[in-house]
Amino acid sequence: MNNLIKYISFVVSIFLLSCNSTPDINNATMLDGTLISDPSLAHPENYLVSAYIPSPTELQKNTPVIIAAHGYTATTFEWDELRTFANEKGTFYVSQVLLGGHGRSYTDFKTATWKDWQSSITDEYKKLSDLGFKKIYLAGSSTGAPLIVNMVKSGLFAGYTTPKGIFLVDPIVVSSNKTLTLVGLLGPVLGYLTTDLATGEQGHWYVYRPQETLKQLMALIDLTRLDLEKGITLPVGTYMKIYKSKTDDVADPVSALLLYKGMRTSTGGNVDAELVDSKLHVFTRLHGRDGITPTETQLQQKTFAEMEAKMTE
Amino acid sequence: MRKTVLLIFTVCLIIISANAQKNESYDLGVGLKFQKTEQLYWENGVAADFTSDFLLNKKIHLKASYVTSRLGSAMIGNAVKQDNIVVGADWRFSSQKDLQIFAGLNTGFFHADMETPMFSVLPHNSLLFAIEAGLFYKFKFPAAASLSAGYNLISGDGVSGPGTLFPVYYQLSVFYYIGKK
Repeated sequence: MNNLIKYISFVVSIFLLSCNSTPDINNATMLDGTLISDPSLAHPENYLVSAYIPSPTELQKNTPVIIAAHGYTATTFEWDELRTFANEKGTFYVSQVLLGGHGRSYTDFKTATWKDWQSSITDEYKKLSDLGFKKIYLAGSSTGAPLIVNMVKSGLFAGYTTPKGIFLVDPIVVSSNKTLTLVGLLGPVLGYLTTDLATGEQGHWYVYRPQETLKQLMALIDLTRLDLEKGITLPVGTYMKIYKSKTDDVADPVSALLLYKGMRTSTGGNVDAELVDSKLHVFTRLHGRDGITPTETQLQQKTFAEMEAKMTE
Repeated sequence: MRKTVLLIFTVCLIIISANAQKNESYDLGVGLKFQKTEQLYWENGVAADFTSDFLLNKKIHLKASYVTSRLGSAMIGNAVKQDNIVVGADWRFSSQKDLQIFAGLNTGFFHADMETPMFSVLPHNSLLFAIEAGLFYKFKFPAAASLSAGYNLISGDGVSGPGTLFPVYYQLSVFYYIGKK
């Protein structure tokens, strides 16, 4: 009996010692630290339409506005290029939301749930609706996509202006990394995962992914998959298009199939979907990446132009 | 790949039928299999289990199964329709007892129906190779049940393999012995 207790104590000790929960954070260079944060926190008026147009004119109320939600561990940086495109065209506004728990610090990220991530999208949507904007669109990249799909499923738009359209870019419903399905079991041992960032991405993405947030991510995408199996119907008059890279090491391309099978327009039709020739995860974000080709730039601009055409038709 | 699986399956059938005709004790059970993949679908179907004295005094069991989401998640929802044809072998650690612990290897073929030409460019076929372990219980009447967990050593990332081929699965099988002596 004593030997059994000793054995169990040994195993528990090894398990606890292997729980690596505090990463080595460089405050000077990492978003995970306490010195760097997303600029939208200090200057929301540069990112949120509700903040920089608090009293819209009738013309502004009739101008399309798209709420752009980024992915897991990212920041508003992910949609900067769409804002640049919109500023050049002058035909629509971009409201870049920072997901809850993101762009702040490792501690803030670790304690946030996926509902916290989603709350900033919901808050901005409600504000724009209350301000009288009539043509509200949503764009979600990677994890931003299931957060928006969940808003549709939960009926969060009821009582507010119906969204005119939803664009999903490299949505994640199935992770490419299948071992993440074991995060519920192995999470405490993992503690956190580390990501390699390109030089241009440093300070815009969290380097460390706490196991608590990975569990939140897996809970969100599992819930989304189950909701899609049951079927989700878009509000009357809401358009949807799914863009998915054929090769993606983060969001499995089959995610697009699950969305295509599970989403329906209000009249029971299929939503639009396109598999694009890209190897990038979130192919619409090129800034900060190394070795971008002219083809990738053309694909990004073509996609932005298509989104603009839909919003202004 | 399909040919390889078919060949293995055929060889197993030949061995089983050839030895079943000898004057040796054997058990042949057929039944139902219920499979839940971690964070994915229910896939159900049929299964067979065979053992004989010539298989190291029934320490080795040969098995075959077909499970599909068509009889599971895809039957009641928008799940991807996918099929798993599996053959394998188990080692029973206490083959003479009613409650047995087993571990084994499985191989086979996986196919997912992409349904539309647009998505057919994504990988949707794969070889299966899995390790599995669990408990097997023989009832007093000619039936048995097994509960097991498996790990697909080949899973899909959506580029080199089907995206809905996940690693971890759990199975419940029930068998009725149609051949026993």
